[in-house]
Amino acid sequence: MKTITIKTKKLTQIPIEFDNILPEELYDKPKDQIDNTIIYHGNKEEVLSTYYDVSVSGIASSPDKCLIHLIGDYSHVKYIGSHLSCGLIIVDSDVDLHVGSEMSGGHIIVNGNAESYAGREMSGGLLEIIGNTKELCGCAYMGQWQGMTGGKIIIYGNAGKQLGESMAGGEIIVKGDCDYLPGIHMSNGYIQIDGDVTQWPAGQMKNGELVINGHIEQTLQGFRKIEAVINPYIHGEYHIGRYNHYIGDESARGKGSVWIKE
Amino acid sequence: MHEPITDYDKVVRNCSCSYCGNNCDDITYLIKDNNIVGVRHACRLGASKIINDNDQRLLNPMVRNSEGILEETSWDYALELTAQLLHDSIRPVLYGWGETSVEAIKKGCQIAQATGSVIDNQSTICHGATIQAFQKVGHPVTTLGEVKNRADVIIYIGTNPMDDHPRHLTRYTTFPEGFFRPNGRDDRTLITIDPKYTNTAKVSDEWIQFNPNEDYSLINALRVILSGGELNTNEIAGVDKDTLYKLVETMKNTENGVIFFGLGLTQTLTKQRSVDILIQLVEDLNRYSKWSMLPMRGFFNVNGFNIAMTSETGYPYGVDFARGYPRYMIGETTTIDLLNRREPDFFLAVAADPGIQFPGYSLKHLASIPTVQIDTHWGPYTELSDIVLPSTRVGVETAGTGYRMDSIPIYMKKVIDKPENCHSDEWILTQLYNRIINLKEAG
Repeated sequence: MKTITIKTKKLTQIPIEFDNILPEELYDKPKDQIDNTIIYHGNKEEVLSTYYDVSVSGIASSPDKCLIHLIGDYSHVKYIGSHLSCGLIIVDSDVDLHVGSEMSGGHIIVNGNAESYAGREMSGGLLEIIGNTKELCGCAYMGQWQGMTGGKIIIYGNAGKQLGESMAGGEIIVKGDCDYLPGIHMSNGYIQIDGDVTQWPAGQMKNGELVINGHIEQTLQGFRKIEAVINPYIHGEYHIGRYNHYIGDESARGKGSVWIKE
Repeated sequence: MHEPITDYDKVVRNCSCSYCGNNCDDITYLIKDNNIVGVRHACRLGASKIINDNDQRLLNPMVRNSEGILEETSWDYALELTAQLLHDSIRPVLYGWGETSVEAIKKGCQIAQATGSVIDNQSTICHGATIQAFQKVGHPVTTLGEVKNRADVIIYIGTNPMDDHPRHLTRYTTFPEGFFRPNGRDDRTLITIDPKYTNTAKVSDEWIQFNPNEDYSLINALRVILSGGELNTNEIAGVDKDTLYKLVETMKNTENGVIFFGLGLTQTLTKQRSVDILIQLVEDLNRYSKWSMLPMRGFFNVNGFNIAMTSETGYPYGVDFARGYPRYMIGETTTIDLLNRREPDFFLAVAADPGIQFPGYSLKHLASIPTVQIDTHWGPYTELSDIVLPSTRVGVETAGTGYRMDSIPIYMKKVIDKPENCHSDEWILTQLYNRIINLKEAG
């Protein structure tokens, strides 16, 4: 296992873009080459060592045996793990926009909060956010019809509005609360929210499953209650309690399932 | 009563108003001694903008001195300093463009590309949500000419044109006699859907009041009724169920209906999703009759920026050239978000006043970075600016192209001469671009 540790040396208010810092790019490179990896700072190109100290231990024969450990302050670093396909990235900090966007494999652990667009258009792999994330987690790019198509996102804190917007596959688990319109335009996949939802889950939903274990303020008229089930078996597991099962969004001629715990 | 204006020596007809997105192009200017002394056919907003042109007018380039006071200077010095600041910055933002010509906007786009800047316009604080929804689900578009000649049901949602686009009803939608609506107002039904009893609601046949921020659930309920479903409560978003059923019946039995919507829809809780579901309602309605929709755009060329940028870069606003190619992401490359995240290190406002338009928190950051203003009049942003470059008014002192709210290009004439030491936005931006290229070549 090769471990590349990148520590913050110098802070900047203008965000840095980290889309080149991936196990598949760095696993076979020596320290001096990693130091000279291009990162983007506003409209300037810089080398990694300008803002970060790099240390390397171990060796890796393939990128999936490479760990990138980010230590320090990454709250102004965007695109961490963007396009990741294998390997592991651990961030001991809050992170900026687009963490894990378009990732197709591998594993990212954020030991902090994540800004908006976490896991945007993700198609595989696992993204774990130990804190909260803001809006549009697992969403589509502007104008695209498909957001997340595969993989799994686990948010241990709260999620912002429009979680899983246009989701077409994969799984999102939120341990905390969620703001309005989770699962909007959802066409497939699974969302589970263990906390409360502000209002209007699954607007314009076509298909897929959404489970809400907490309280919900208001549902949309497009959802018709078809049954109440005790301990329903949803997405491969039993959910303990009494759940109301809704189908919708009828306004969009949708046939998605929304389960809300009583 | 005001006396009719008789003291003028020249009449220029068929001019285009440079106030709102109506772009009324039937305006007559009365001119005496190179001053506009009267305006015919314009609304009170347009007329007041055109006639009171010299109040607080910027007439010379200015640079803020070491004591913090704006001091008049030469064009050469002001342009050279602006070019140097822009060239040296890492995260520059070029904002505004809603009240200038497409010709100037295209020059601005060249500067953004050359300097790796973000270029953005007022859509970011008004109809950006509409553009996002159009990208997501399409745009059932129409033109105002078509509305005038064909529409028999007009619906205004979250907008009050009687106050902010005063000639919209009289020139395009409600009162004019059209080819298929020979009796004008009598042939049309006007409905206003708004939380407030606005002046537009007062002249409407029906006013439907809904709870603020509940427009998404209201439109969702309309779609449910339209798809044959039943509502399970008697009141949705504060609107009685029977009113909604009646509204859907009216919409289904329309010959040609048009929905106009404004910031009362785009700036509510659900923002672009409200427009998104409204578009889908229009799509559903087209199973029964002919329906289309148009956003009520504010500045006379805010739409022109979106069209020009889409043509040049593929993206409508919030275009980021930092990596050398255009990128666009709402919440990341849009001006308010950039300022709230304290990213920009240089800010140029062209034909816009962020001092009026932006929230206080965003302005705080503007006060801490180099700022440049290219505009015609002194405003709150002038007080924040380090460099001020006085420009000319499109459609009055400079000719140019503007795009009406229905995306129809309108050529805007020059009718009087500009103040001696002011230059058009296009001239200023061309000078700036040439200086930036020289700096780049010099390394």
